[in-house]
Amino acid sequence: MSSLASAAPTAVIRGRTAPPGAAARRTLPSAATQRAPYLFIAPFYLLYVLFMIVPIVAALFLSLTSWVGLGTPDFVGLRNYGNLLGDSSFWTAAGNSGLYVLVAVVLVVPCSLLIAQALNARGLRARDLFRVTYFVPMVVSPIVVALIFSMLLDTEYGLVNSFLHAAFGLPGVDWLTDPSWARASVSFVLLWRWVGYLTIFFLAGLQAVPRELYEAAELDGAGPVRSFTTVTLPAIKPVTAFVVVTSFISAAQLFDEPYLLTGGGPGESTLSLAMFVYRAAFERQQFGYAAAAGVLLFVLVFAVSQLLNRALQIGRAA
Amino acid sequence: MSAATVTSPARPNSSVGAPPPRRRPRGTSRLTAGRVALYALLVVLLAVFVLPLLFALSGSFKPRADIFGEPLRLIPSSVTLENYTNLLSSQPFWSWFGMSVGVATVATVVSVFVCALAGFGFAKYRFRGKQALFTVMFSSLAVPFAVILVPLFVLLVKTGLGTPWFALVVPWVAPAFGIFMMQQYIVQSVPDEILEAARIDGCSEFRTFLSVVLPLLRPSLGALAVWSFLQSYNSFLWPLVIVSDVNHYTLPLGLNILFSSENRAIDLVLPGAVLASVPMIIVFLLLRKQLLEGLSAGAVKG
Repeated sequence: MSSLASAAPTAVIRGRTAPPGAAARRTLPSAATQRAPYLFIAPFYLLYVLFMIVPIVAALFLSLTSWVGLGTPDFVGLRNYGNLLGDSSFWTAAGNSGLYVLVAVVLVVPCSLLIAQALNARGLRARDLFRVTYFVPMVVSPIVVALIFSMLLDTEYGLVNSFLHAAFGLPGVDWLTDPSWARASVSFVLLWRWVGYLTIFFLAGLQAVPRELYEAAELDGAGPVRSFTTVTLPAIKPVTAFVVVTSFISAAQLFDEPYLLTGGGPGESTLSLAMFVYRAAFERQQFGYAAAAGVLLFVLVFAVSQLLNRALQIGRAA
Repeated sequence: MSAATVTSPARPNSSVGAPPPRRRPRGTSRLTAGRVALYALLVVLLAVFVLPLLFALSGSFKPRADIFGEPLRLIPSSVTLENYTNLLSSQPFWSWFGMSVGVATVATVVSVFVCALAGFGFAKYRFRGKQALFTVMFSSLAVPFAVILVPLFVLLVKTGLGTPWFALVVPWVAPAFGIFMMQQYIVQSVPDEILEAARIDGCSEFRTFLSVVLPLLRPSLGALAVWSFLQSYNSFLWPLVIVSDVNHYTLPLGLNILFSSENRAIDLVLPGAVLASVPMIIVFLLLRKQLLEGLSAGAVKG
């Protein structure tokens, strides 16, 4: 039956193939063997240097120049950074991106944990159906998601307002054209698109928690809430760390949803930092300025995620 | 499957996905009330995730006037294929589709190979600088695309490499997430003994990788393939920036043009959205187990 597939994936994998004592790894002396790992990882590092390190260095350089995309860039020192700090649009974008991060970490992540907890209920039927269906929004392209929601949320012709009017006689809400509602709508679409995806990780984590731990907690008289905080949460810490860090990084650089759904508007009320960079470079030809904004975003995201990694201890080689 | 769980009731994990062992005759009625609430919640959520997609599907079959006139009707009062024929006759839809699928296929094949190689290197060898190199690789996950967007665009255009086939494929074929996923899977599922045996048989390291390791990785290669195909097929910002030639538009770019045109050509965009999404959803449904388990397996162990 379908629920078979959802039984603790890692346990299945480990149980099937890893022989006893496989953990002890052997080192072989031959020169070819010593060279081999470097050759195996070389393609990645080649691409990594060319398409990540070089562009980052180029971004640092560009950010110190004023350049419209033609001719030679003029060196302007730190002026772009100074201008950014005095640019109210930049702060608006930073605030909005902060909001998206908050929504992702404080709303989307806990919601997916709760859904995973519900899906992990003992003897649940059709678990696979729920799990798979909840994931579908992640499979659908952001442009399609944006188009569907802009249709549903249209003030005059949208399904949501039609329903509110038909069912409760409520007047139409400007879901995408009122600043606060627009931010709420973008946040909702974020939730809608990501929550099923993150649920997958939590569910796998929950399924790997040994049943005995819960039984022991139950014997000690722990209720559901207490066994959740004392058994579940510590046991799923690695998954939680992974989910928190990846959703933080994705939300901090959010572009598709606000760009496609609201175009950053009304005004700049849903403009994100990534949209700010895009707008400066490709709509206003301020390449140096855009690079500087990108560098600030990079420093922020990189620093916070390294702190999170350190605090939550993920990303170690096995 | 119930037979399997009945015979091994003591294994902690095997009972997770199975029907409940009936050993609580008391309190069943209370449990049932909880169960009803649980299923109600899950079904409501199901509706929240599926209904928007179903309304888009139904809208694509409605005459233009009805798309706006009767938004609440899930079953159209009159069904038409006109939107589809209009889209396919007035827009180069299949060219967008071909571009998206072509780019995603090439990127997927290459990136699965590169990730498996690097994942194997990290999983099964000890070497000087391994920890540092792994940290460098892993921390590239935390580099926001916005920082390299502008310089990568400039560099590729200046070096003449801004052509769609190069720019949409090559910079994206070595995702750190894929390497991490492969590394986790290889640690768990490729026994050292097999590698030893291959070495004793005189296989070179690369030969061992190709003929011994790769076949063992099939389930997670499938998962990684679906994941990277989706990444490429759905990507929007980078194509938006780098593809200027209308003849090389990918699906998201084509739909975006229709969508952002003056009259919001919703009657053309809807069938386009359906045609773009249905193949992906079908592929996902076919490979769902591999993908979902492959995705989560690495993260569970951290």
